[in-house]
Amino acid sequence: MQQHFADTDRKPLNAGDIAVGDPLTPMDIDLTPTIVAATAIATRDFMPVHHDKDYALSQFAPDIFLNILSTNGFVSRFLTDWAGPRAWVKNINIRLGVPAVPHQTLRFTGEVLDKAEAGDKVEVTVSVIAANDSGNHASGSAILVLPRD
Amino acid sequence: MKEPADIDLFKASQDALDRYLQSWVGENLNTTGTNHAPDPVNMPMIRHWVDAFDDRNPVYEDTASAKQHGWGARIAPPAMMQTWTMPRVILEGIGERGGASQELDPDIPLGVLDRVGFNGILATNSVLDFERPLVEGDVLQSDVVLESVSERKKTGLGLGYFLTWRQTYIDQDGASVGRQTFTVLKFDPSTIG
Repeated sequence: MQQHFADTDRKPLNAGDIAVGDPLTPMDIDLTPTIVAATAIATRDFMPVHHDKDYALSQFAPDIFLNILSTNGFVSRFLTDWAGPRAWVKNINIRLGVPAVPHQTLRFTGEVLDKAEAGDKVEVTVSVIAANDSGNHASGSAILVLPRD
Repeated sequence: MKEPADIDLFKASQDALDRYLQSWVGENLNTTGTNHAPDPVNMPMIRHWVDAFDDRNPVYEDTASAKQHGWGARIAPPAMMQTWTMPRVILEGIGERGGASQELDPDIPLGVLDRVGFNGILATNSVLDFERPLVEGDVLQSDVVLESVSERKKTGLGLGYFLTWRQTYIDQDGASVGRQTFTVLKFDPSTIG
């Protein structure tokens, strides 16, 4: 029996449900060493700084830290957790800041900046910030493509 | 064919180093050639990904949900694009290589900067563009081209150069599926302050 973890009851948003200024549903990730290592390996990034604390300390890092593919992976999840299963993530544009380290919460927030017609779809531009106790880990914007209604 | 990097000259002459770095703008940084995905887009790797990220978007795993929500088939998480063409890893010596999955050409700008003393690295910007959803069976390949190198700048981490490269992804039909534009600061930690 194939185990299924997909959230098949998830409700989709359409562009008509969204207004400029709307907040995105915040997403908190309580980062653990296991999450940092598991996501790095899932992205096929074997750099020791993402799973080996001794190595990370030898490189003057405070601990192991999230790799950038995983930052983008969590941004993608943050966007579609909010926008639902009809949304297509078209663009993620981030500036990178402090490292995302274990034992801190990485909190994703954002708001709708713009809506623009694009053929029979609508492009929704949102701001994205992922921050922990030390400041912004990533900040920027993203574009989602959604059905009109 | 490029001239071999003359590290002693580059240590003595910023002008020679700057000219060498600029000569790489527009060149493929992957000197062994195009990066071919070791595997097609596939469900085991997607499942591994969604479990690691706890991403329960049903269109990644459940065909009925994908069709219900307007997708022709279940799709791969968009941010997996880079994962498909990540090179296979040689774990032996990965720490000594600074984490690179395989041996890098020491004469590419990153390698040269390491050897001249700009051995610190900090990623500063990432722009991902996804052109279409990837589905099981898609076979990707990617190339990476150096887009720009800044002049030498004084930064909070010391003297350094900002390098921007663009990684492009195409499918089995040669059609573009997306790209990443990535900027890093290569800095000399001994020049901080």
